[in-house]
Amino acid sequence: MVKTSVSELPKRTTRSCSLTESARKQHEVQETVEPLFPSVFSNFLFREESISLDVLLQHFPGRRSQVLEILQLIGPLNSPMIPLFVYGGPSTGKSSVVTQVFRHLNRPFVYASCCSCYSPSILFQYVLNQLFLLTKNLRNDFSSSWSCERASDFIILLKDALTQFVSVVGECSDKSDLKQSTALGDGKMIYLVFDNVEMIRHWDGSSDLISILFKLQDLLRMVEVGLIYISRAGPNCYYANIGSTEPLPIFFPDYTEDDLYEILMRNQVNPKLYSSFLRVVLKPFYRVTRRLDELSIAFQPLFEKYREQVSDPKLLPDETMNRRLFDNIQPHIAPSIDEIMKVSSLQLQQDNTGKFSNEKRSAKKFHGNAAYDGLDFHMSLSTKYLFLSAFLASRNPPTLDSAMFDSTGGSSNQKRKRKSSEASRQEKDHNLQAMLLKGPGSFSLERLLAIFQCITYVADCYPERETLDNQMYEDERSGATSDVLLQLSSLCEANFISKSASCSLEGFTRYRCTVDEIIALKVARSISFPLSKYLYRG
Amino acid sequence: MVSPYAMPDPSSPLAAERNPDRDLQPFFVLRKPEPGKVVTTEATHGKARRKIDLSQLSPNSRKPSAALPFEEDADANYEQLRMQSFNATWSKIECTIQGCLKQMNLSLFEEVRGWIYESFDKIKSTGLHSVSNTLCPYPLLTDGIYRQIFTALILTKNMEFIDDLLTFQDLGEHLRSSGCHIANLSYSDFTVKHGIAGCFKSLLRQLVMVSLEAYDITALASWYCQKENNGKPVVLIIDSIEQCYGPVLAGFISIIGEWVIKIPIILVFGVATTIDALRKQLPSEALQCLNCCKFTLPSPSERMNAIVGAIFAKPSLGFSVGHEVAVFLRNYFSRHDGTITSFIRALKIACTKHYSLEPLSFLSRIMYDEETEGTWSIMCESLPVSKLEYAFDLPSCRRDSLNRKSGSEIAQGLFDFRRLWKGWTCVLLCLFEIGRISKMQLLDIFCEAIGQTTSDVHSSNGSSLSSVTSQKLCHASSQSAKGRLIGQAIQKVREISPASLSSLLESWAKHTKDIDEIHSKVRQLQSLLRSVDNDGASIFADVEDDGALKVNEKAAMLMKQIVEDMLKPIESIPFHEIFFFKHVGVLRSALTGDPRKMIQLDLLKSPSYLRCICCRTGDKALRPSMHDTSILYHLAQEHGDFVNLHDWYNSFKTILTSRRDSRRKVKGSSTPQKASAGPPTSDLTEASIQARFCRAVTELQIAGLLRMPSKRRPDHVQRVLLGL
Repeated sequence: MVKTSVSELPKRTTRSCSLTESARKQHEVQETVEPLFPSVFSNFLFREESISLDVLLQHFPGRRSQVLEILQLIGPLNSPMIPLFVYGGPSTGKSSVVTQVFRHLNRPFVYASCCSCYSPSILFQYVLNQLFLLTKNLRNDFSSSWSCERASDFIILLKDALTQFVSVVGECSDKSDLKQSTALGDGKMIYLVFDNVEMIRHWDGSSDLISILFKLQDLLRMVEVGLIYISRAGPNCYYANIGSTEPLPIFFPDYTEDDLYEILMRNQVNPKLYSSFLRVVLKPFYRVTRRLDELSIAFQPLFEKYREQVSDPKLLPDETMNRRLFDNIQPHIAPSIDEIMKVSSLQLQQDNTGKFSNEKRSAKKFHGNAAYDGLDFHMSLSTKYLFLSAFLASRNPPTLDSAMFDSTGGSSNQKRKRKSSEASRQEKDHNLQAMLLKGPGSFSLERLLAIFQCITYVADCYPERETLDNQMYEDERSGATSDVLLQLSSLCEANFISKSASCSLEGFTRYRCTVDEIIALKVARSISFPLSKYLYRG
Repeated sequence: MVSPYAMPDPSSPLAAERNPDRDLQPFFVLRKPEPGKVVTTEATHGKARRKIDLSQLSPNSRKPSAALPFEEDADANYEQLRMQSFNATWSKIECTIQGCLKQMNLSLFEEVRGWIYESFDKIKSTGLHSVSNTLCPYPLLTDGIYRQIFTALILTKNMEFIDDLLTFQDLGEHLRSSGCHIANLSYSDFTVKHGIAGCFKSLLRQLVMVSLEAYDITALASWYCQKENNGKPVVLIIDSIEQCYGPVLAGFISIIGEWVIKIPIILVFGVATTIDALRKQLPSEALQCLNCCKFTLPSPSERMNAIVGAIFAKPSLGFSVGHEVAVFLRNYFSRHDGTITSFIRALKIACTKHYSLEPLSFLSRIMYDEETEGTWSIMCESLPVSKLEYAFDLPSCRRDSLNRKSGSEIAQGLFDFRRLWKGWTCVLLCLFEIGRISKMQLLDIFCEAIGQTTSDVHSSNGSSLSSVTSQKLCHASSQSAKGRLIGQAIQKVREISPASLSSLLESWAKHTKDIDEIHSKVRQLQSLLRSVDNDGASIFADVEDDGALKVNEKAAMLMKQIVEDMLKPIESIPFHEIFFFKHVGVLRSALTGDPRKMIQLDLLKSPSYLRCICCRTGDKALRPSMHDTSILYHLAQEHGDFVNLHDWYNSFKTILTSRRDSRRKVKGSSTPQKASAGPPTSDLTEASIQARFCRAVTELQIAGLLRMPSKRRPDHVQRVLLGL
């Protein structure tokens, strides 16, 4: 019934019209909500048992002052509050602290993360669905049946929902005894929590939405509603847009080393062992990152390695053993700090590939030429040449092309290597550095094709080429040009070459090769192409 | 005799091309017109000839064969037979290929399935998964470690993605059958245009099967809470990660990262190049969420080996390719395209061409209809005279100078050929087995085997006879220039370990089942090897063990002997043309068409296409009645890389206003505007000429032959001279 009444709401409503509508609806909703009562309202509460203040503080080592401050600002039962703006770096416990605070207070709240809700309409829906107690299920095809696109509609509907909630709660707390009120949560207040507010900045029309969100207090004009915003970005990023009461900022600083130690030590099976492990690894990692999530992800495999040495998991390590464990773990620490993403592979498969590579190596020794030398994916021969020409076109300045690829195929570029003075060398170094800083240059299709033609010509002349069926190869090459454009497009698709957007009709599309030298060298080696000879080094 | 059967022939290759699997190849569009041009039928005689002439203009396509069949008495019945045998053969080839590709992937699929359930157990072991938790609107209090998404990275080992489009569909099917929820997302769901909504739309449509106004993850959460959906892992397969738009993918991952504690989502990514591609594409925030595990699909060359082993070593298919075509296919694969898809397509074109060009190709079914020899003899005897003459005029028969030209002769020849070919493929299979062990490319071996000429065989015999000991043979094989793969393979037999030797002999025994004498020899070797094994358990300690080496030596000798005996140069056996496709030129022009060149050539000789009355005289002078674009292109030929627009326009105008009889030389004519524009000869006004000029220039530009004036030289257009 709720659903039908809501879906009747036309998309474009004047304020007065929608207000009467909402009044009617409010009435209906009250009727429908009443019977479902206790179970439904527990939706707003934390599902688990409420916790005491001590437990709460214990949960968050290093966050004692913040927790207390938030509690103080939220205030005692049924007291209005100023909007709060909780901010701090990622993974500093903002969301967890706020939600756990409500668990402790046992008061109703509505939570919406702007990360999961990736657009305004979804954010509105998400909030309203929670307030109107709508669940998506098979009967309504998992749709929410709100069509709340505009922020103004959202404000109206939100106000309806909140007034209705507040009146229901008020009635109920008036007439009911103490026991029922605990099932509903304490007090007449309801809190709205908006998480990841900084994500909104990337949405379309973000400035309007941000200012509306921060102005909610003024727009709603309801003392029973408390607002909490959680953001990674500081308040300065938003306040330019706000023309009303500034929310009260609460800063969550990065954890200190001791805090991290304490947090990581929670829920460990063998605290002694883990603490000795942390003493080894925490310091170097702390210099790199203070984010708890990064640390816990990085520590997990390291601790696995650390523990491997210990036969009995319950064993308490002594000094000599710590020494031994340290020696074992130390070589793993430095690479693990640099690692962003760890890619494992199944044990079985690892064995297989290991064996395979061994065999391949021996095969290489035997035959003298391996098909894929270090390059771990397949590329056809002409694609490799095209790839290399794109790399050269991006690296070398266009003015040097004629010197690099002269009629002799670039083999006589010895003359450029004059003995140079200290000053000119310095200048060269400077130029090289500038070039590296500028990154790969862009090039036109013509230049790419010219270089391609040059280096394939050189490759043909190159004496070390396998002469298995050279005549056939010559035969094939004449047809190569028609394929080049297709291979170029597949190089673009593989993200080796990026294409600047421009009018395709004009043909002024510029390309840019985005690979690093390591891969290019691998490719060059696989076709025994002397890449370094053609590379301009300043 | 224009029969209804004449129709399917030209259309069938095109229809075959439209197979949806192959359609995705990007250059399909460019080359689409080619097959139509080359394939001809007797019914459309005059026109077809003209088209053939045209295709021969390009220097690449040699005239395929002296014996191109243009029979005046096209027999509808035989046409139909050819069609039938083409269909039968191709469906067999296709089934074989698909079968072996599926088989190759299957083990990997199993591995992935195992890993998914392992990860799912790990997720379940956190104990946080319950219906109430899934619907919980706020984040659960957990360690960061639980927020990681289990992700399988499947390396496809090929930069081109086209081969693996179906692989990921198959993987999805495989996992679905083992009870996972599957959504196959493609890179087109992760675009700038649609943003995150696009991927959720695709995801929810596949899993929840509803269409909503706004697609968000809460719908997925509520769907997962339904009783029938709960308790299974949700696997999202995203193929070709390189082509996804990074920021959208990162946003998608971070949303899933928020919900992975509530919904057990597992990701499967297809990675075409290297794992670094993922690192490049995603911010570290998103990478942090992934707990990756790496899987590797068989590489293209491994797949190629499987296909070659399954196709070219099977006489029962009744179709194979000659040496030149095999080399062309190999080069095309390794140098130009490198995808299995294009290899299969090339094979299909070859097959189509073979059955449409070779009048006797319907006889190829003799290879798999063994029981009905009588029928085939009758059929051969009932061949019309023209066909008989054609058959005995085949190059391979001319050499043998058979004097009795009868149908029974053909039947006999074909049966002989069948016998020989079976032996030949049997040896080839044995060689392939060695090739598999020593990681050789089977297509190379096939090329070498099929490319043997009679002189080759003799010379190799001579050299191998002179060198009896293994070292000498090794020396000889390295000396003989052209990488003698078969020699290397035989040499390899001498070196392999007893364990792989026994498996090799096992496979040889399987392949030589039908040829008794070799089979018995292989069996002898097997028993010998077994006895050697039983004799000394300490083989490994003793390197100089005679017994094992002896078996190796014997196996190598056996291999050499059967290669000499049975791997005869197949292209010298009479009637092999009926089974082997050899017209490499036809295949090349079909595969590496030269569209740019064709456009320019066609522009130069547009009158020959239009065949208007005014240009019939055959002289090359430009006429005002010619097509404007063609005139302009002709005129541009006079210029260098840059064309002065003013001059160009004036010459154009001169041609348009010139009278038909006064054939003025147009070269370099830059007459002042007023002089030529004086008295308008016809209804041509300055404005209309300018309009026509502009349109023609634009057409040239659209065809990619011109570039508009740059800022530096505003009065010049640049010619684009690619592909000439």
